[in-house]
Amino acid sequence: MKDTYILGIESSCDETSVSIVKNGKEEIATVISSQIDIHKDFGGVVPEIASRNHVKNITLVLEECLSKANMTMDNIDAIAITYGPGLIGSLLIGLEAAKTLAFIHNKPLIPVHHIAGHIYANSLVKELTFPLLAVVVSGGHTELIEMRDHYKFNKLGGTLDDAVGECYDKVARVINLEYPGGPKLDKLAHIGKPTYKLPVPLKDDSYNFSFSGLKSAVINLAHNEEQRGNELNKENLAASFQKVAVKSIINKVKKAVIDKNIKTVIVAGGVAANGGLREEMEKLSRELGFNLSIPPMKYCTDNGTMIAAAGYYAYKSGRTADYYLNSVSSEKLN
Amino acid sequence: MRILYIDTSSSFLYTGIVEESNLLCEVKKEYNHELSKYALPEIVEMFESNNIDPKSIDKIIVVNGPGSFTGIRIGITIAKTYAWSLNIPITTITSLEAMMLSSNSNKYYVPLIDARRDYVFGAIYSDKKEQILKPKHIKIEDLKQKLEDIDDYIVITNDDIDLGEKESYDPDILTIVEYFKDKESINPHAVNPDYLKLTEAEESKLND
Repeated sequence: MKDTYILGIESSCDETSVSIVKNGKEEIATVISSQIDIHKDFGGVVPEIASRNHVKNITLVLEECLSKANMTMDNIDAIAITYGPGLIGSLLIGLEAAKTLAFIHNKPLIPVHHIAGHIYANSLVKELTFPLLAVVVSGGHTELIEMRDHYKFNKLGGTLDDAVGECYDKVARVINLEYPGGPKLDKLAHIGKPTYKLPVPLKDDSYNFSFSGLKSAVINLAHNEEQRGNELNKENLAASFQKVAVKSIINKVKKAVIDKNIKTVIVAGGVAANGGLREEMEKLSRELGFNLSIPPMKYCTDNGTMIAAAGYYAYKSGRTADYYLNSVSSEKLN
Repeated sequence: MRILYIDTSSSFLYTGIVEESNLLCEVKKEYNHELSKYALPEIVEMFESNNIDPKSIDKIIVVNGPGSFTGIRIGITIAKTYAWSLNIPITTITSLEAMMLSSNSNKYYVPLIDARRDYVFGAIYSDKKEQILKPKHIKIEDLKQKLEDIDDYIVITNDDIDLGEKESYDPDILTIVEYFKDKESINPHAVNPDYLKLTEAEESKLND
């Protein structure tokens, strides 16, 4: 069978990334231009600044990727683009570039949902096997998605308010860790002991999550300790928060695996790098006997590679878009 | 020589193709908040209905602002991707120059775009089309003062701005392209919007 080369473009938040992937599983070349140092000064991603930097970067990243792969647009079979969800002004830059390339080089345009990208990051490591549960955890998402075949997504549940990664960053700010504080909080948690009492959120029968209450509980706790003149033990607070945040995810994963008779669980998104979550997921996989797949860190953050990988399976299932494709800030995965 | 013109700096898409002083085709359409969806397919439709191969374009002239931030980015991204990918010359002009050139007046030209909160994006050009005040994000009151020294001028705007005699803007794409067709081209990677204004986040940081 002829090989298929997909060019994937991702610009949904603060990373401009382009990648070429062969047959949905072999990474040929990837370039990521991150704006993390720019937004650090503002304590979080500023949408207008992100859009401005995507415009500056887009053709540079495209050029570097093609030259790294030693390819031209003639070698590309189709162009995959993140159309949403994400920051609308950021998404638009990748979208307009993708549509323009598809037009002038007469290539199919494949719309890829950002979450589908995170899920298919796993197919760069190992072929997906079904029935599968995708645990998508990042700064923008916390979702449980059941898959019984390629490109068939059934969302079981998701966060009702903040994403887990967002909650990590906000709690990190309470204890004065520099943005993005999530990973730093994870490190502190490994030093500390869970001595502070925090409530496990949304202990119900749904597959949903809620993190805003937990965030408020941490803020109140810090405030109360200060009022009492007690010094806050940052390591212990980090450990206490992490224990509860991870537990609330694990509880729902466990329920979904049992209810849906899941054989494979994949973890995707930036928070997949979280040490506490990894440990507990591994424990759960031994307890329930499912295969666990957590992609290497480089595929967990936003990148064009996962978009190209998902794009391959979308393309094979006949999903292409016309030039009227628009970016959307929020959209259900289907 | 075939030149593609693109301006998406307002709620309108203005695009056209000029060849040897002839306007082959043009599109002028308003899209409220949906420019990102329609800009490229409209351009595609213009090429297809006139049987023009996208690879036959020799140069691109694109408007890099001022105007709607999102709007400018749409046109710039299409234009720079196009020029970079086909390795063709590209140059930028301002929306205010395009407005000045589209007027038939023989007075001083004052093209203006509403920038909200008592500000406009504006410039002043002489009757000989020389730049008197370079494109600026300027308080209306300050602009008024600058206009006091000028006898006879015409404001060109599609916005609700009252600074004397005015006419509305309808781009004369052929004239604009002819005027700038020999303007020096720049590296597509360096083709970027010129917003004339920092983001609010940057401004409040400066004021800290």
